[in-house]
Formats: sequence, C-alpha cells, structure tokens
Amino acid sequence: MSESMNNENSRNANRKLIGLLGQFDDPGTLLQACHSAREAGLRKIDAYTPFPVHGIEQAMGIRRTILPFIVLFVGLGACGVGIGLQWFTNATEGWGLWSGYQFKISGKPYFSLPANIPVTFEIIVLSSAFAAFLGMLALNRLPCLANPLHRIPRFRSVTNDRFFLSLGADENGFDSGTARDNLNRWGATDVEEIWLDETDHRMPAFLKTVAILGLILLLVPPVMIYRARGMTSRQTRLHVNPDMDFQVKFLPQSLGPISPDNPKEFFFPHKRSGFAPVPGTVPRGKGMDDIEFKRGIQAGSLEDHQTASSTPAVLASSGSRQESGQQEGATEPETPAEPDWLTRFPASVDINEQTLLRGQEQYNINCAVCHGYSGEGNGLVNQRALGLVINGHAKWNTARSLYDPEVINQPVGRIFDTITNGRSMMGPYGSRIRPADRWAIVLYVKALQETRINSPQPDPNTVVAEAGDSESGTATDDAAAKSE
Amino acid sequence: MAHIRKAEITSPITTLASENTTRITPVAALVGIGCLVGAWFLSGGNMARFSHAYLMNFCFFFTITLGCLFFVMVQHLTRAGWSVTVRRIAEIIACGMFPMFLLFLPILIPVIMGYSGLYSWNVAVPEAEVVKGSEAIGWAVGDPRIYELKRMYLNSFWFAVRTVAYFVCWTFIAVTLYRWSVRQDETGDPKLSSRMQAFCAPMMLVFVACLVFASFDWEMSLAPMWFSTMFPVYFFAGSVLSSLAMIMLVALLLQRSGRITDEITVEHYHDLAKLTFAFIFFWGYIAFSQFMLIWYANFPEETVWFKFRTSGTWLTVSMILLFGHLFIPFLGLMARSVRRNRTFLLFASIYLLILHWVDHFWLVMPQLNASVFPTYDYNTTLPFMLPALVCLVGMGGIFLASFCVVAGKRSLVCTRDPRLHEALNYDNP
Repeated sequence: MSESMNNENSRNANRKLIGLLGQFDDPGTLLQACHSAREAGLRKIDAYTPFPVHGIEQAMGIRRTILPFIVLFVGLGACGVGIGLQWFTNATEGWGLWSGYQFKISGKPYFSLPANIPVTFEIIVLSSAFAAFLGMLALNRLPCLANPLHRIPRFRSVTNDRFFLSLGADENGFDSGTARDNLNRWGATDVEEIWLDETDHRMPAFLKTVAILGLILLLVPPVMIYRARGMTSRQTRLHVNPDMDFQVKFLPQSLGPISPDNPKEFFFPHKRSGFAPVPGTVPRGKGMDDIEFKRGIQAGSLEDHQTASSTPAVLASSGSRQESGQQEGATEPETPAEPDWLTRFPASVDINEQTLLRGQEQYNINCAVCHGYSGEGNGLVNQRALGLVINGHAKWNTARSLYDPEVINQPVGRIFDTITNGRSMMGPYGSRIRPADRWAIVLYVKALQETRINSPQPDPNTVVAEAGDSESGTATDDAAAKSE
Repeated sequence: MAHIRKAEITSPITTLASENTTRITPVAALVGIGCLVGAWFLSGGNMARFSHAYLMNFCFFFTITLGCLFFVMVQHLTRAGWSVTVRRIAEIIACGMFPMFLLFLPILIPVIMGYSGLYSWNVAVPEAEVVKGSEAIGWAVGDPRIYELKRMYLNSFWFAVRTVAYFVCWTFIAVTLYRWSVRQDETGDPKLSSRMQAFCAPMMLVFVACLVFASFDWEMSLAPMWFSTMFPVYFFAGSVLSSLAMIMLVALLLQRSGRITDEITVEHYHDLAKLTFAFIFFWGYIAFSQFMLIWYANFPEETVWFKFRTSGTWLTVSMILLFGHLFIPFLGLMARSVRRNRTFLLFASIYLLILHWVDHFWLVMPQLNASVFPTYDYNTTLPFMLPALVCLVGMGGIFLASFCVVAGKRSLVCTRDPRLHEALNYDNP
C-alpha cells in the first residue's frame, strides 16, 4: 500500500495538495476526532457522514446559520411589496405612463387592508420559501458540480457506512506529516491525500458555438412577433376555441333548422329560428295593459293601428334611425300614421313638486349629457360630437333644444314616446328609465319649457340648435310630426 | 452530547402527592365552589349576566382540557417520541373532562327547565314576530319559518342529549388513554402503545365530530341567527393553543417545585414553544379567514356579528385580540433563544392564557343583552366584569382540584413508555 502511495506521490509531484482525509468507522470516534481537531486549534475541518449525527455541529464549532434572518427580512420586505403593489395598482391613478388604475371592487375602498391581506400573505409565503431554499443553496455554496473528494474511490462509502474527517491544507501551519499523525492518533483507520483537481475545466469550444446559436434562435420568436405587429393578413383568424366561437345554436333573426326528412327544406314552415309571440301573450317589457301610462297614447285610439299591422306604430317609426333602413325601406309597408298622442298626463302620474324633483334628477342623470342641464341641446356629449363633426370624424345630429317651437308644441305623449323609443340619433331609454320616471322627466321638460315661453328674450343658443336641425334624421321626424 | 441517557427516571420526586398537595385539593375545591356561588350573588341575581360570565369561563377551561386531549391523541397517532415526558401532564388535564361535565350542569339544567336568558333560541317565538324580526333587519329570508326550522336542531331536549353524548365520548377517550398509560407504567408492556395508537385513529373522528357540534351548540348558538362554518376551527385553534400554554405552565411550575426535574429538558420546552408558535399563527389565520369571508361578502345576517364586535368598546377588545393574541406573541416567540428560555416561557404561557380568556370573553359576552334576531341596536359597552373574574377564580380552583385528584400518587411522567429513551435523549438540532 505504501508503495502505491509513493508512486502516486511521485506522479503527483507537481499537483497541489489541498488536504488530508481520514476515515473513521463509527460516529462516536468521528465526534471525538472533531473535538480533538477543534482543541488542536484547527479551523479548516469538515466532516462527512452517511446520516445526520447529533452534536456534530457543536463538535466542529459550526456557528448557527443566519438563514432564519435572511428569511425574516425577505418576508418583511415581501409584506411591504405586497401591500405596496396593491396600493399602487388599485388605489393610485394618474402617474403618467406607470399609472395605477383605480378600480372599485365590491364596494370596498380603493385601499382596503383586509382585502389585501390574502395576497400579501401569499407573497410573503412564496418569497420566504424562495429565500429559504435559495439562501440554503447559496450559504452551502451549492450546486457544486465537482468536488475533489469525489475522485477518491474510498470516499464513496460515505453514503453507506463510513465517516470521514478532512483537514484543509489552507490551515495556518499545515504540515502533511503532522496532520497524518493527528488523524491516526484520533482513530482514523485510513488517511488519504486530497489533490486539487487539475483537469482542464475550460468549456469545450463547440459549446460556445451551440450557446451562441441558441441565443440567436431565441431571438426569432420576439422578432417575428415584432414584425407581425404592423402587418395585415388575409388569412382567417386563428380560432383557439372553435366550439366557443362557433356554437351550435340558433341566433335571433337567423334561419331555422333544416328538416331531418328533407335536407332542402326547413324544419319550420316560416324558415326562421324564432317565433312570433303566441296570440294572447305579452312579451316581457311590452305590457299593453295601461297604454296611456306605458306608451303615451290615448286609450282606445290604437285599435285601428293594431289591426292594420302587428308592429306597434311607434316601433315602426323608430326604424328610420337604423342604418340599413335605406335598403329595407323599400320592401317595408308604408310608415303608419302617427297615433293619437296623449295631450295630458295620465291619471296615475301625480303632478306635484315631488314628481318634478324626481324628473329633474332623472333628467340630469339621463338627458343632460346631450340636451344640457338647461335643455338647450348643449350637453357635453353634443359639444364634443359637434367638434368631431367639424373635423369630419363623426356623423351626428345635433341634440334638440327643448325650446324648439316644434318640441314645445309636441303633446306630452309624443315627448314620452321620444324618451321611450328614441328619435333620429337619440337612442331609446325605455329599458333604462321606468315609465313613472319617464313621465316625471316629461313633467320637468314641460316645466323647463314653461320658463322660456314666459321669458321675454329668446336664448341665442336656441337659434344655434335650430340651425343644426337641418340634418337628415331630424328632418324625417319633423315630417312625421307635421303629418300629424 | 455523546452521553446517551438510559431510559430511566432519575428525578427525586416524580409524583404530585405531598403533605402540601393533599391539603390543597379540598381547599381549592371549596374556594372554587365558593367563588362560583359568590359570582351568582355578585351578578345581583341577574341570571343572564351570571350565565354568560359562567359560560365564558367554562369555555375557557373546557377548551384547555379539550386541547390537552387532542395533544395526547396526536402524540399517539404520530408515534411521537419527543413528547413522552410531557404527555402525562396532558393526560391528567384531559381527564378533567368529567368534572367539566359537572361544571356544565349549571348551564344545562336551566336550559332544560326552559331558561332562555342565555340561549335565546330556547323559547318559541310566535311566527308573526319571526317575520317582523326578519323584516326589521331588511333581511329577505328565503323562508320566513327559518327560525322555527332552526329550532328543530336548537331545542332544549336535543341540546341536552348532544351535550351528554359529547361528554360521554370525550370522557371515555380521555379516561381510557390515561388508564392504559398508567398501566404501562406498571407493566411496561410495549403493546399498549400500539393499542393506544389504534384506539386513537377512530376516536379522533369521534373527537372532531363532537368538537364541531359542541362549538356550534355552546358558543355559536348564543347568536342563533348567525352562522359561520369556520367557527369550530376557530374554537379548535384557540383550544390547542391554550392547552399548549397550559402544559408548558404546569410543567414549569412542577419543575420549580422540584418535581420531574430531570425528565423535561429545555428541548421539550423548545418543541412545545414551536407548536405554540405555529398555533398562534394558525389561530390568527383562522380568525382572519372567518372575518374576511364575512366582511367581503357583506351579508347583513353574517356581518352583524362582526359589526357589533367592531363597534364601541368591543372594537378595543377586538384590537387587543388582533395585536395581543396574534402579532405580539407571533413576533415574541419567533426567536430560538426565546423558545429555550424557561423564565420567558413561564410569562409567555401565562400571557397566552390571559389572551385566550379574552378571546372567549369576546366570543360570549357581546351576546349578553343581544336579541334573538341580529339587530344593530346592541349595547356596545363592556358588561360588568367582576362576576366573570370571580368565576375565573372559582373554576380555576375546581380545575386545580381536579388535576390534583386525577394525578394522585401516580407518576407525572410516563415511566416505562417504550419511547422514553427517545424523549430523554431528544435534541433539537
């Protein structure tokens, strides 16, 4: 054995000795050896065991790890980051490019600590776990891909049934002979030298090429995405979820199912997917029970129109504001005559201050954006739209001034119908405002008009609004109004 | 290290019995009963005031007992080695389950006799009032008979049957485990350990089922129209936390009196403190989860319970719980050196028990003066505190007497447990 060792020594003459490795047969001896090494003043020692040996940290004089403090401070930092992130994203707004976005969630305040706790908690747990795991790796200088000890065949039994103690050559006053004697004296059954691994550890040249090629390939997807940003494509768009995009169902206003017996025939004789209401039924929101209150039409005056056409007259008249009205207008029956609008308020509407105030409130909520708070047709939306019209960015019919003589002359039922079904560019509000509130708005409008009828000087804005009325949509309405 | 202890008990004194302790038992019991009677007079004959104070103190000591039973069962189920030397203390406290039943009689008997000042569900409300009550809070109850439906579960007969069943189950588990453990001291039969383990597995299910419904019955039903499925977990978290504090406290006091000085080492305190630390946060986690789900969903019938506890003086109590029961002990018990300091742990365990008392105070006392239906017109000032404090002394005396009687002349550590050597040589790396 000593001969082979000598041979090796001569072979290793130029190599650097980094330590001695003593082998021990039981944990007790190893612990004693650790104690002795500490007492001898050695610091560069390390022990290797197949299983955790209680007390070996104290025997080797290892200080307690600072890992808990790392985790603590990362956790505290994550707490601040978590709360700060939620505060910034949801409770701040208007910091330019990196602005947060105030968003009301469930009626809670923008910055609401109880709601932020779960997210903060998760961030703390995740960061702490990362800090513990990565900190452990870093403190242990892991991953260690090569260790000189692994080149010693005897060392392999460290995972099985042998215990080792290494004495580092970087110790002050290290002497190979003394160290060997010490290890033997402390009960080592065998002592080996640890040599620095001097094999060429430069990266193979081809790896560099592969790495550069890989990096270039990695650039391809972002470049392609960047290139695709400004391009048009004639290809059908990609459907990731075709069964969601093309559902097996019949949309309204579409053709109905094919007959199972004859593929050239439709299943329903009328070919449509939908059905007309069953006679005697009332669709939701179209209750005709109180026609004066719900539609502003004089009771008893509608029977003739009803028999003439199944479509209510008012709905048909509002068809003129559809964009496709020009093509379909030819095939449709002639616009029926205007119904007899109610000229007084229905009996169920109380004319009092409370209703008026309610009307004012509803008017300010729903109507003022276009018609203006004073009813002159100068609402903010109208002003903005007119600005766009001038630049040719939009088509817009000026909102009516409510002091337009034609509007003043309209019966209350007609105003009610305008609110309900819309006119020209104005959309229908029947689904948004309840009938009683619509009547309240009518009352408020009438009250507004009353103030101007008695006022001696006409407002200049009225003139402006009238000038804007020459647009096409309003013109048809005017015509309809005149035909009445 | 390197010195391996043999599995032998080396302390000079290992039993509780001595000249002094035999005298303590009757004195503690008499003081206890005296204080409980005194609390009744201090309440000025106000039965509701007395019952609430009595119930909250009962729940305080009961949760400690219950937590100790859980501790014992978990040690058997996990075949834990480290805890053998502290297990006996938990076993003795858990055997207080039968005295706990006797202590519950002053609540149970009035309920059977139809007293509704404590559990307001114990009275049949006419249907008209039910509907009125529901309307009063703007609560669109799906079924106006909900109150009557609840009374199918919450009635005095069923309440009594369930209560007796809970105590039968728990007493059976506690006494059986204690008897087998003491028998092992004599025979040293290792088979008893595996038998206890096998016994604990099914009994754990029984234990938990009883725990869940007992927490519903005794504390949650104080506000019969309020409900939270998280409540039993909250009850349980506080229970285990307080029992760990109590085990530490008892062990420290026993060692200070010169008993079992060699067997319980700083390593055991370290582990108990680690568990305590974990359960402090678990308690806070559950408490917050219960609060947040209710706060976020914002249903009137659920939020009213917290609305009341965050109004007036009760907000202060809630904040004391948030900081005193969660943040302060959480940060305080974080460091290793602190967990291995006996003096500090003595104060920490007393502190945690006080906060656990406040926890039950917070659970029970707001319901005094509250009506059956959740309304917002509670009285948010603190109730008269003295009866509750006197009850605490009284029940503490009976708790102490029961501990002395159960411990008797038996050893305070498991002397021949097959895993004793593991506990004696236990070392926290």
